[in-house]
Amino acid sequence: MTQETPKVKPSLMHNTRIFYLVPLVAAIIPFFANDYLQFMVNMIMVYVLVTVGFNLVIGNLGQLAFANTAFFGIGAYMTAILMNYAGFTFEIALVGAAISGGLAGLLASITALRGIRIYYLAIITLAFGELMRWVYIHAESVTRGTDGLPLPDVTVFGMSMHSETAKFYVFLVITVLVVKGTSNLLKSRVGRAILAIRDNELTTASLGISTANYIILTFVWSGSVVGVAGAMFAASTERVFPESFGLTEVIVHFAMVMVGGAGSLIGSVIGGVVLTALPEYFRQFPGMEELFFGVIIIAVLLFLPKGLVSLLAKVSPLFRERYYRE
Amino acid sequence: MLMQLTVSGLAQGAIYALIALSLTVVFRATTVVNFGHGDFVLGGAFGVYVLVVMLGLPFLPSAIAAIILMFACGILISRGFIDPIKAGPHIGFAMMSISLGYIFRGTTRSIWGREVLPMPRVFDIPPVFIGDVVITGDAMIISGIVALLLVGFFIVFYKTSIGKVIQAVYQSERGATLIGINVRRFHDMMWGAGLAMGAVAGILIAPISLLHPDLGAGFLIRGFAAMTLGGFGSLGGAVAGGLILGVTEQYAGAYINTALIDITSYIVIILVLVVRPSGLFGKRAVVRV
Repeated sequence: MTQETPKVKPSLMHNTRIFYLVPLVAAIIPFFANDYLQFMVNMIMVYVLVTVGFNLVIGNLGQLAFANTAFFGIGAYMTAILMNYAGFTFEIALVGAAISGGLAGLLASITALRGIRIYYLAIITLAFGELMRWVYIHAESVTRGTDGLPLPDVTVFGMSMHSETAKFYVFLVITVLVVKGTSNLLKSRVGRAILAIRDNELTTASLGISTANYIILTFVWSGSVVGVAGAMFAASTERVFPESFGLTEVIVHFAMVMVGGAGSLIGSVIGGVVLTALPEYFRQFPGMEELFFGVIIIAVLLFLPKGLVSLLAKVSPLFRERYYRE
Repeated sequence: MLMQLTVSGLAQGAIYALIALSLTVVFRATTVVNFGHGDFVLGGAFGVYVLVVMLGLPFLPSAIAAIILMFACGILISRGFIDPIKAGPHIGFAMMSISLGYIFRGTTRSIWGREVLPMPRVFDIPPVFIGDVVITGDAMIISGIVALLLVGFFIVFYKTSIGKVIQAVYQSERGATLIGINVRRFHDMMWGAGLAMGAVAGILIAPISLLHPDLGAGFLIRGFAAMTLGGFGSLGGAVAGGLILGVTEQYAGAYINTALIDITSYIVIILVLVVRPSGLFGKRAVVRV
C-alpha cells in the first residue's frame, strides 16, 4: 500500500493560473480606450511577442544573436508580400510569416552550430540584419523600396480587421496562444534542456541531450514568434518601411529583454508592456530615443541585472520562474 | 581604371584598417568586443567639428584635444561601466558597449538634429598624377598619417616592454597580476588607447565626408568586416583586412553595381565566418569549454 501524500492546494496568490486573468482583464480595454490608446495597446502586444522571442535566444539559450530585427522584418515583409501578391488573407499570411521567421531562425542556428558563437554570432547576425534592410530598400520591384509596401484590406476569416478594436481582439488571441505555448515549452523537458545548454553546453551533451537539436529548436521557435510579431506589426501599421527594422530597433529589443528580465517569460511580457509606450513620448525629440534606451540598459546592467521581474519575485513567488508543471 | 580604383580603395582601406586595429587593441587587451566603437569613432569626428567650426579653433590643436578627450572617455568607460560588470556573463559587455555607443549617438543627434554637417576642408594639397592615376591630397595625407601610426603602434607592440605587458595580460590576467602588473589600470589604458585610435580615424574622415550621427554604424560594420577578414584578434590581420576591404568595395562598386559598396562589408563578414571563421591570417580559434 502506497502512502498517500496529502495534496497541498496552493493558495490563489501562489497559483500561476492567476495569470489567466491578465488577458481577461485586458479584453475590456476597448470599452474605454480611444483609437490612439488602442493602437498603443496593439503595439504593446506586438512588442511583447518580439521580446518573448528574443528572450528565448538571449536569456534562455544564452546566445548573443542580433538577428531579432531581421526576423521581425522578415515576418512583416512576408505578410505584406503574401497579402499583396498572392492575395492571401491575414490568417494565412500569418502562418507564412511564422514559417519564414522560423526559416531565418534555422539559418541563424546553423551558423551557431558551425561554431560561430559569442562575438562571431553577434557580428554575423548584425550583418545579416543590415543585409536584409538593404534588400528591403533595393528590391524595389517587390518591396517598393523606401516608400514602403502598403497592405491591402486586412481581413481575418472573412471579417474586416480595419478598426483598432478588431485588431486588438485578433492580436490578443494570437498573443495569448503564443505566450502560453512558449510557457509550456519552457516548462517541459525542452525548456530545461535549453537552460542546461546555457549553463554548460558540454555537460549537457554528456548527459545524452542532443544540444544541436535544442539549439535549432530554440532559434526556430524564436524566429517564428518574432515573425508572428512582425505580421502583427504589419497589420497594425498597414504599411511596412525598411526603416522600421534598422539598428535603433536592435537596442529597443535589447532594452525590453533586459528591463523585463533576461531568461524570464513573465519578464518578457513586462518588458514589452513597460517599454513600448514610453518611447512614443521621446520620438518627437531627435536622439532622445537612443539616449533613453542606452541609459536604461546601462542602468539595468549595473543595478538590476535580472530585470524588473527580480523585484517582483521578491514580493511574490508567482514571478519566480518555474521549470516544471504543477 | 583598375589602378585608380586600387589607389582610392587603399586610401579608404587605411581608415578601415585604423578602425579595425583600434577595435582589436581593446579586444586583445580586455577580451571585450566593443560594439559601440563606430559611435566612438564618430565621437572624434564630432569633437573636431565642434572645436573647429563652432569654437573657431585651428585644426591641429582641436584634433589633439579631441583625441585626448576620447582617451579620457575610454578610461571612464573601462572604470565606470565595464569593470563593475566583470563578474557577469559575457553578453553584458556587448550590451554595455552597444548602449554606450547609443548614448554617444543620441547625444550627437539631440544636439545637431537631423542635419548633415559639412566640415571645411583642412588639407589643401594638390593631387598628384602618376600616369593616368590621380592621387588626391586627402588620400595621401590620410594614408601617410595612418602608415605612421601603424609603424609607431607595431614598434610599441613588438619592441617595447609595454608590448610585452599587453601580451602577458592577453595570455593570462591572473598570471599578469601575479607578476605585479596592475591589470585594472592596464585595461583602462587600453580602452583609452582604443578610443583614441578610433578618434584619429574619425578625425581623418571628418574633413572629407559629410557628418551625421548614423555614420557610426557603418564604421562599426566595416571595422568588424576588416577584423573578421584578417582574423579576429590579429593585429596585422586587422590592417591587411582593412586595406583589402577598401579595395574590394571599390571594385565591387565599379564593376558590379554601386549599390554594392554599402553591403560589401556585410557580405564579407557572412562569407568569411561561414567559409573560414579564422579569417585570412588568424589562427584557428580554440573553443573554450
